[in-house]
Amino acid sequence: MNVGTARPPVWSYWIVLPGLMMVWAMTAGYLGSPLLPGPMEVLDTLVRESSSGQLWMHLGATLSRVILAFSLAMLLGTAIGLVLGRSRTFNALFDPLLVLMLNLPALVTIILMYVWFGLVEAAALMAVVVNKIPNVAVTVREGARSLDYRLEQMASVYRFSLWQRLRDVWMPQLFPYLMVATRGGLALIWKIVLVVELLGRSNGVGFQLHMAFQVFDVSAILAYSLAFIAVVQLIELAILQPLENRSSRWRQPESVHA
Amino acid sequence: MLELRIAGRDFGQPVLGEIFVGIERGDRICLMGPSGIGKTTLLNAIAGLDKSIPESAVLGREVLRVGYLFQEHRLLPWKSLMSNLRLVGASKREAEELLMRVGLTGYGAYLPDQLSLGMARRAALARCLAVKPDLLLLDEPFASLDPIMVAELKALVSGILDAQPDMAMICVTHDDKDVVSLANRLWYLNGKPASLQWTDTVGDPQRLEELLGRLRQG
Repeated sequence: MNVGTARPPVWSYWIVLPGLMMVWAMTAGYLGSPLLPGPMEVLDTLVRESSSGQLWMHLGATLSRVILAFSLAMLLGTAIGLVLGRSRTFNALFDPLLVLMLNLPALVTIILMYVWFGLVEAAALMAVVVNKIPNVAVTVREGARSLDYRLEQMASVYRFSLWQRLRDVWMPQLFPYLMVATRGGLALIWKIVLVVELLGRSNGVGFQLHMAFQVFDVSAILAYSLAFIAVVQLIELAILQPLENRSSRWRQPESVHA
Repeated sequence: MLELRIAGRDFGQPVLGEIFVGIERGDRICLMGPSGIGKTTLLNAIAGLDKSIPESAVLGREVLRVGYLFQEHRLLPWKSLMSNLRLVGASKREAEELLMRVGLTGYGAYLPDQLSLGMARRAALARCLAVKPDLLLLDEPFASLDPIMVAELKALVSGILDAQPDMAMICVTHDDKDVVSLANRLWYLNGKPASLQWTDTVGDPQRLEELLGRLRQG
């Protein structure tokens, strides 16, 4: 078995995570400090925040920012990546810019957007999108470069429309690259969204973390973090994995007559 | 029907020299020549895949429907045979009829890579026919198949040609027998850069053999 890529077995999660919880509980019990609350206290906070509706309101605000920013970044990044991958001229023109953007710290974009456009929702979203687009574009560009020229020729001979090419010839080939961009994108975006919220919004998980930080409410910080990790995992399990399984089914069709 | 003038084609080194081709309705052409001489390059040029050939060098292609059987099947591997045929414009009924015609009744829902080489090639041939071609291009259609499959596919192609006397065909092959059974014209590509020689009289196996002997010596 390949150690590098193989998923660990499910039981490892059922051992390692509860184990970690035990260590946490014991350390917290031993220290008895408000700066490290135990699991039960965090759970209490979670229940309280959730029954007051606060948790859902802020989670919802953050999640909708993540979804909006993610969709925009994927759409624009894919379009840019396709153009750069298919045209040498455009690639020569924009590659330097891409390198610059890739190395620009997320924090700089966020600050600049807020300074230039004010502490408004559009500036917050734009900051996240601008941060993410270069990653998507670079990944999709790789995919666009590796498109099978033989299928391109086929599509030319049979006069496929641009839409047919995009949907039926390119997308299935780009799918693995889009999945990579999606995976990396989601992880990156929700972290940036928290910073954006912390710096300039008045709702969302990032804003709540900011408030909790000001009063050193570690219990609230952990409660909100755990809630958000759970949401991101749920997206992974409920949307991304089924999508990936479904769309790669053709890759290993059981051979019937070969 | 189609006229094409190629001023020359090189990929680092010259492949094709100056070549003029004229194709008429009902032409059955076998294209022969040594391996690597540029037969597929010429076929691609005729199919309009060579973007280096200016529009002004081509006459009559805009209105021409081309069916191209590539060396590989080049069906979309993520689409069923049925969807592959529908994509080039066949209706559901037409697609079913085409599958029946190439002996693949009941395989509409299969993915191309679930089929054997011979079956996939027949499916690709069905796609060629789905566009109701004026010009059918076959690039070594009988290569790497076992003798029984070759015989089946040849019978299939002959049947298609008989049923559509107006359709033109160009078939790349290495087998003299194909010329006798399928073609009424012979194109022979040879030299470096390659030039095209052609003849119209290929009906007589004896004379064809002499002719090919001369062509092969250059």
